[in-house]
Amino acid sequence: MKALTANRLDDGEVIFVAADGRWVERFVEAKLFEDDDAAMAAEAHAKTQGTIAVDPYLIDVAPGEGGVAPVSYRERLRALGPTNRHDHGKQAEGGDAVEALLHATGAARSKGRVDLIRRK
Amino acid sequence: MYQYDAIDAEMLADRVAEFREQAARRLAGDITEDQFKPIRLMNGLYLQLHAYMLRIAIPYGSLNPTQMRKLAEIGRVYDKGYGHLTTRTNLQFHWIKLRDAADILEHLASVDMHAIQTSGNCIRNVTADPYAGATADELDDPRVWSEAIRQWSTFHPEFSFLPRKFKIAVNASLADRVATRTHDIGLYLRRDENGALAFEVYVGGGLGRTPYIGPLIKRRLPVARLFSYLQAVLRVYNRHGKRDNPNKARIKILVATLGAEEFARQVEDEWEKIGPAGDLPDTELARIRGAFTPVAFASLPPRSEAFEAAKARDPSFARFARNNLRPHKRPGYSIVEVALKTIGETPGDITSEQMEAVADIAETWGANDIRVTHEQNLVLPHVKLDDLPAVHKALAKAGLASANSNLISDIIACPGLDYCALANARAINIAQDIAQTFADPDRAERIGELKIKISGCINACGHHHVAHVGILGVDKKGEEFYQLTLGGSAAEDAEVGKILGPALPGPKVAPAIDQLVEVYLRERNDGERFLDTYRRVGLAPFKEAVYADAH
Repeated sequence: MKALTANRLDDGEVIFVAADGRWVERFVEAKLFEDDDAAMAAEAHAKTQGTIAVDPYLIDVAPGEGGVAPVSYRERLRALGPTNRHDHGKQAEGGDAVEALLHATGAARSKGRVDLIRRK
Repeated sequence: MYQYDAIDAEMLADRVAEFREQAARRLAGDITEDQFKPIRLMNGLYLQLHAYMLRIAIPYGSLNPTQMRKLAEIGRVYDKGYGHLTTRTNLQFHWIKLRDAADILEHLASVDMHAIQTSGNCIRNVTADPYAGATADELDDPRVWSEAIRQWSTFHPEFSFLPRKFKIAVNASLADRVATRTHDIGLYLRRDENGALAFEVYVGGGLGRTPYIGPLIKRRLPVARLFSYLQAVLRVYNRHGKRDNPNKARIKILVATLGAEEFARQVEDEWEKIGPAGDLPDTELARIRGAFTPVAFASLPPRSEAFEAAKARDPSFARFARNNLRPHKRPGYSIVEVALKTIGETPGDITSEQMEAVADIAETWGANDIRVTHEQNLVLPHVKLDDLPAVHKALAKAGLASANSNLISDIIACPGLDYCALANARAINIAQDIAQTFADPDRAERIGELKIKISGCINACGHHHVAHVGILGVDKKGEEFYQLTLGGSAAEDAEVGKILGPALPGPKVAPAIDQLVEVYLRERNDGERFLDTYRRVGLAPFKEAVYADAH
């Protein structure tokens, strides 16, 4: 299962594509792609939305106890905010969805970082 | 401090206007991210994990109170009320919006600041001794040379597209507080056999993936010939640096490949061709030197009764005095280290309120002078002993009186995976764990000088290679692990540390540091620092202690 993420051009905020095609800030609202071809098509479309999203890429997500969460720790951190300041980033909002992400487990390399290194 | 003249001011205003237009074109979709990225990077604007990050140059780590207050204002208005000081003596804001960036650059320009030379393959912000103009052991003011290098290098057309980034450090003291030999060019000011000032030139130091302590390539460079020689070094680099592979493109790889002797020979050939025409006219150096007018020091007795009485009265002040004060060249004065290393806080972070407090303190008691160190701390270089109790009180009120300068909890940590898009693992939480482990100030003082430096990836912004105990975050199938190195040094006895053993999971790092410290306390002779004991007894007893369970 995959989700599509990027940083917003205007302010750098981490964003996700929602089911209706809008870019949203909360991971819990992200569209979950069961089908890889559909995910790749969405990624290709996102790459044409250059005035909204910077460097869009797909992330692996998986169901856990609290709900679906990114498999990679880096991507969970992007969906939450820095661990040294819980009052900063998306986690500051609190609530069940944030709690679920905070307690999610799983480990994998982030494609976002791998792509970034490759582009350097 | 150097004040920008009309040409400097005009150049900056043009640059801000240019960036404002470029950012507007990007937001409007007139240029692509691929076209815009190198432009924003040349203005210090990176896109990190959660937001844009603006890296602001603090040339040779020197700030005045007006500049500090401006940084505080930017932090409050455009960020989340704080900034982060880096090992390059820069200040980073981690929550910047692209739409605000040009306004911020305009604010910076109003106080002679900018974010130029904080990114890209150019000559970066020059670093120098934070005790410049205050320490007794310096031969000349390194800020004068650093400022001259800054002016020479800014927008230098020949060196604005180097094979990779390029860092220069100037040290004019016997002690090295600049990590000089980890730079692409490290300059030590010395006296030659006739008593004239000359530079020892080290080229090809660097950390990152392939760490090197820079070898000496010129023993006695007359100071008047500095700029032609720098030009020669950079020309050889520009000609032969490996542009096809970013991991091999730094000058350290070229110097190591050619050998220091052959590299030096090629530089000499080039230097001969350039000749004295490439040097800075004496009048120009004199103009720059004139901007660094010496502080009007008062004639004071070496002993201050107020200082002595405060130490006797207040144990927390006495501890601060033991750990955070350094000898000043003038009797009755002290250099004050302001450690941004409060236990449990993020190394190098400073709030807008704290910036304003430091600005007030520098204005009231500190000759309007503030320095940033590569160890992510601040320095007040000129404080009267008589004023130290008041300075300590004001620092304490601002939460800045952490009395652990140079001790085990005075840790360098890069932003790591909490903020940085390149990081493999977090660094801040590891620093916080270790600081908590050694929170007992008496124990920290018994342990003495122990420099821990943490990097969240192999790019080594946290200088882990040259730490007494270095910690490198690595990614093992997506999990955070940490590799320990021992015995590095960034000081005058510079050395790259040796890997202790297999990487440890995050929660095991602070306990491992505790085990290393216990070995040191057991093995040390009188007066030995951790590094001295390590050098005498070697890696084995430390390795045994940390990996005992694995056998």
